[in-house]
Amino acid sequence: MRSRVVRWLPGVVVAAGTLALPPLLSSGHLSVYILLGLAAMVTIGLSLLMGYAGQVSLGQASFYAIGGYTAGLLSVHSFPPLLGLLAAPVAAALFALLVGVPLLRLRGHHLAFATLATQLILLSLVGQADWAGGAIGLQGIPRLSVGGYEFAEDISYAYLTWAAVALTLIVAHNVVASRSGRGLRALATSETAAAASGVPVGGYRLAVFALSAAFAGLAGGIYAFYLGYIAPGSFPVLLSIEYVVMAVVGGLGTLWGALVGATAIVLLIQVLTTIGTQPGMPSYAPSVLSYAVYGLLLVVVVLFLPHGMVPAARRAVERRMTQTLTVEKR
Amino acid sequence: MSELLQYLITGVGGGCAFALVGSGLVAIYRVTRVVNFAQGAFAVIAALTASTLLATGLPHGLAEGLAVAVGALTGLLVGLVAIGKPGTPPGAALIATLGLGVFAYAVEVLIWGDQPRSFPGVPGAVEIFGARFQAHYLLIIGATLAVFAGMGLLFTRTDVGRALSACASNPYAAKVVGISVTRMGLVSFAIGGALGGLAGVLVTPIQLVTFDYDVTLIVGGFAAAILGGLVRPALTLAGGLLLGVAQALVAGYGNAAYQMEVALVLMLAVMVWQAARKPIVQEETA
Repeated sequence: MRSRVVRWLPGVVVAAGTLALPPLLSSGHLSVYILLGLAAMVTIGLSLLMGYAGQVSLGQASFYAIGGYTAGLLSVHSFPPLLGLLAAPVAAALFALLVGVPLLRLRGHHLAFATLATQLILLSLVGQADWAGGAIGLQGIPRLSVGGYEFAEDISYAYLTWAAVALTLIVAHNVVASRSGRGLRALATSETAAAASGVPVGGYRLAVFALSAAFAGLAGGIYAFYLGYIAPGSFPVLLSIEYVVMAVVGGLGTLWGALVGATAIVLLIQVLTTIGTQPGMPSYAPSVLSYAVYGLLLVVVVLFLPHGMVPAARRAVERRMTQTLTVEKR
Repeated sequence: MSELLQYLITGVGGGCAFALVGSGLVAIYRVTRVVNFAQGAFAVIAALTASTLLATGLPHGLAEGLAVAVGALTGLLVGLVAIGKPGTPPGAALIATLGLGVFAYAVEVLIWGDQPRSFPGVPGAVEIFGARFQAHYLLIIGATLAVFAGMGLLFTRTDVGRALSACASNPYAAKVVGISVTRMGLVSFAIGGALGGLAGVLVTPIQLVTFDYDVTLIVGGFAAAILGGLVRPALTLAGGLLLGVAQALVAGYGNAAYQMEVALVLMLAVMVWQAARKPIVQEETA
């Protein structure tokens, strides 16, 4: 009974916190809050893919882009915006299935380069496609409206985003806890053993790939409605690397880790940008600072905290608790 | 006809850069099993260093040589971080080199700014059978061939080269006969850095270099090296030249905007074909 309370308590506290926060934030902080939620959604999917299916994707931003362009194009061509938002994750997942069939034969660094290549091809094609706005981008995306209600204010997007984060977490949690989730974990530890035990390796890998793409696509759809403008330049390769940094820093294969990693990185970058834009700082200071921090964080975490922040913290707490328990027993 | 010849020569010149970056990847991967994502950064750092040294009045040749040395030093530093800590698995080292590649952006922007840079190469133009092209292309092609021949000699005729090859084929056996595998790994990173640096120095006169040009180079280099499974330098050279010529032909007869796609699609096709022919069973680590 007590353990169940302990298990659910952090979730309830975080949920209450996310609901209480938006009215208290200034407009500048609110936009950071929204972008943080969107980054968290993509990272949850990537963490699932990297941690449970053991596959590195350096092209996660391409699914984000597909979601954004799907939602944007549909609503620019005066389809109902809600349809655009719903189509965004579907289109991203379909795209993932399409490229996943040939690409998921690859492993490790081969797959990393293949996903990177997919994103470069996609960006280049979109940049030359006049029907998608070309390199200039897609402008004049209307605000999201459902029925008669229009999401006009930032605060409504904050609630929409974090509702989507909650949905993503619930779906991911159920996948992990299910029978197929156990199959996935077996797959990540040893593909041969999993296959021998009857886990449909190929199908599961493809399904996780598509699911992570759907999360990124949904985030991209919200992003398009929130900003009202998207361009190939909104989805650089560096963005894909940022998601990898967030997933690795938080801890691969832990859903809370994705949330913690995204929060830590977004807040850190925000602080650095504030420092970098102080008067007297050179114009390139913000980008130099963020490159340096992304790079160093990735190196330090991979070498010294290979399981990420959340598992490391959890283990430290557990060690503390067992210590106190043994002391009490004496 | 002369048009085709012109495309072929410019294509081979461009392909040489990919082949050099790719051979750097191969040199490192053979010995350490690490795919070095910072390989493109070596080229960019060397190119930018050369542009600064030339601007301070150093003569051609010396400036480029120093820049290649800087590339080798950068390679050594990357190697120290990536494989210096004992027990780092290759997968983690891959992510670490990715981090170092991003960190290199910070250093490059801090020192050289984010504007594209270039410097003059071999002046003048050459005309062969009616095809006109910059004389610099001949230098690129000549230097690349010399480097590949030199690498072949290094790996087969010298003690260091034999030690490197020993680590590549069986690290355990190499350790048993007294070769320090970690030290050889660092040597291979330095060689990779020098090869990457050479690619950057050679390509800058025909191609503006910005700090994020490394993505193009690393993708092209990987595409070239993957043809030989990341372990065979000769096939890497062939892959790089094939890639460069294919790009030049597409740019010449088709649309220059699709140059990048050619390299990428070619790389994807080769990888998927290799995987289909010989399914990769994930290496089990105890």
